[in-house]
Amino acid sequence: MATAVGHLSDHEIVAQRYNDVDPVYGETRDIRLVGFVLFLFSDCILFSSFIFSYVFLRLQAPAWPPFLNGHQLPWFDTSFAAVNSIVLFGSGVTMHFALENWKHLNKAKFNGWLIATIVLGLGFLGGQAHEWTTVGINWTDTTMGSSFFTLTGLHGFHVFIGVCYLTILGIQANRGVYTGSKYFGLTAGTLYWHFVDVIWVALFFLFYIW
Amino acid sequence: MTEVAIERGVALVGAILVGITATVQLKNDWAARGLDATVTKVLLGLMAFGCILALLAAVNVLGARA
Repeated sequence: MATAVGHLSDHEIVAQRYNDVDPVYGETRDIRLVGFVLFLFSDCILFSSFIFSYVFLRLQAPAWPPFLNGHQLPWFDTSFAAVNSIVLFGSGVTMHFALENWKHLNKAKFNGWLIATIVLGLGFLGGQAHEWTTVGINWTDTTMGSSFFTLTGLHGFHVFIGVCYLTILGIQANRGVYTGSKYFGLTAGTLYWHFVDVIWVALFFLFYIW
Repeated sequence: MTEVAIERGVALVGAILVGITATVQLKNDWAARGLDATVTKVLLGLMAFGCILALLAAVNVLGARA
């Protein structure tokens, strides 16, 4: 059995576990998975273009943080951002748990972890809203302000879409759209949420650590 | 205790907990195969790296501003 399982994908192992191997579903799932990963890759390029713009502008600046009306702008609040980052990273872990529980048909635990993910995602958005209102600079205040609000705004929009996405997935899962072996939507949702987490790693480094 | 000290404490504990959990999940999924499993492993690894960054920021090793 171990040898037979050795060359199977994670999805195929789960399908075998529930005696639900469906070649047609498997084939379309693979195509959709490639398409979704390409979508994530294209989103990565979108973020990369903004990130490289920020890096270029920062390296060209004579001083960082830049001066505005004779005063140097403050650094961003690293300690608060670290807490908010952990909230988002924690949501990535809970989403991973949710998917793992779905694979093992623990629907109650799946719902619990999914709700925890959504709550943490909303918590992160609340933290971002707090930071936006207390950061002390505006969108139009130098390249620092415009870069910060553009990139964190774009990321926050992705988190918001992710929260809506996960909510819809939760409703679908509880209405029987997915089964123990056919759950591509949940896989895609988990990948999207992990992607949003990882983009924040880059933004956290660029704005709060560098 | 100042607000910053509390934030750093929360970030430190959270980074350790989340980082360890992400690493354990990564270890558990290490043998999983398929495109989704591979992408998940890469993303989990980067997330664990993010926890290390948050931990170092919490203890003022990174992001320390004069």
